[in-house]
Amino acid sequence: MNDPYKVLGVTPSASDADIKKAYRELAKKYHPDKYADSPLADLASEKMKEVNEAYDQIVNERKNGGASYSNAGQSGYSSSYSSGYSYSGADSVYNRIRKMINDGLFVQAEQELSGIASGSRGAEWYYLMGVVYYRKGFLEDAYNYFQTACQMDPANVEYRAMFSRIQQQRSGAQNGYNANANTNGSGCSCADCCDCISCLLCTDCLCSSCR
Amino acid sequence: MFGYLRPESSELKVREHELYKSVYCGLCKSMGKDYGIITRLTLSYDCTLLAMFAISVKGECSHVKDGRCVVNPVKKCRFCSSEGEGFHFAGAVSVIMTYYKLLDTIADSGFFKRTAARILKAMFRHSYKRAEKAYPDIAASVKAALDRQFKAENDDSRIDSAADPTASLLSELCRSLSQDEAQKRILGTFGYFLGRWIYIMDAADDLEKDIKHDNFNPFRKNVSDDIEQTMNYCNDVLNMTVSQLVPAYDLLELNSYKEILDNVMYYGLSFQQKHCLFDKRKRKKCKNKEKDYFAYLSNGDKRS
Repeated sequence: MNDPYKVLGVTPSASDADIKKAYRELAKKYHPDKYADSPLADLASEKMKEVNEAYDQIVNERKNGGASYSNAGQSGYSSSYSSGYSYSGADSVYNRIRKMINDGLFVQAEQELSGIASGSRGAEWYYLMGVVYYRKGFLEDAYNYFQTACQMDPANVEYRAMFSRIQQQRSGAQNGYNANANTNGSGCSCADCCDCISCLLCTDCLCSSCR
Repeated sequence: MFGYLRPESSELKVREHELYKSVYCGLCKSMGKDYGIITRLTLSYDCTLLAMFAISVKGECSHVKDGRCVVNPVKKCRFCSSEGEGFHFAGAVSVIMTYYKLLDTIADSGFFKRTAARILKAMFRHSYKRAEKAYPDIAASVKAALDRQFKAENDDSRIDSAADPTASLLSELCRSLSQDEAQKRILGTFGYFLGRWIYIMDAADDLEKDIKHDNFNPFRKNVSDDIEQTMNYCNDVLNMTVSQLVPAYDLLELNSYKEILDNVMYYGLSFQQKHCLFDKRKRKKCKNKEKDYFAYLSNGDKRS
């Protein structure tokens, strides 16, 4: 295994607080939420594991031997890399397409979806088409498909979670430029509160969709 | 490329800013040496970033030397040079892209512009041949991307398919920087969304000009009367692209220039969005308003 200090980007003489800070930063950087639906989710999860292990090792060593150790890295950030899509729907065609998407066969999935007659396209069709386009990098088309899916089936948690995640991305709250935010940094603007609330809602939806 | 990828200098340390400048000058020098003096004219911020990125990903050793600027010999400069091929690679990309841009201009502009482009093309011909010989793959990719671009603009005007050729080109260029499979995958995704961002940024920035000259622009069908609303939409599209770009960037193994590259990704992109989509337009609007106001005043004078 690599030098744990190097993994965290700190020197061996760093204080416990510094190490914790470095760990927190990295954990935020490779956080599973950031890579939900990303084609690179597996690589991010590897990185996260590496960081967790490095942190555990350092904490362990510093605890002198680390005999009674059971702490830190594993708590909170480890699991939840569920990039797969659940097979809940009754329709077998869609289940087959979901499996294709899980296996990374996007071209095939798109072909299969295009083959379905336009009369019998339900909300799920739009959702899956959205996922395929999202993975292809055709983000605007994906956005429109997800929007249609949500309009057709507003009660569906899966579609809604995806759609609100994308709206969050578009708002520029995490990355990019948030045109509506108070950029002077003085005081809390209303948009920030809304973002915060929608973010919480988002995570809530995510958690419930994992179960 | 169009000069949108640059660090936000207020967030840079002075020494990082100097290092950035030395890479800029180093690329200029290396291009002159590799492909001919005239290619120095094609130097851009984008290619400077590409050079830094290539050096960083490949883990090449680079050092800085003192010298004098070729364009202005009175000015003292620091030049960055690298032992690997980072600079040659970025230089070749710049030369090849410029050459194909000229061909594009010859194909679809008015008489004067076309003639100017023809003269430039003749001057660039030799440099292009040299770059093409050194990097045949890049030349082939750029040519294929332009053909696809031409087709995409004629077939339909969806933003995604219009941005795809540029995005795929950058994806290919970035992929070629590493041999490692996992790293290649990250670079491919990173390059795709970087190319997409550049293309969309350019389209949004040129929107008014394209409408005036009746050129193709993927945002033309989204134009509403309120230009600010249109720009908000463009900004949303860009934000979504950045949301895919930054996570891919975070996974990359970078060996040098990390602070500067971080700056471009975390501050530079959003600053460019703010500057090109909102601030620039606001300033223009203010000027126009001022003009109207003065016109009103002078009319008033005449009336009295």
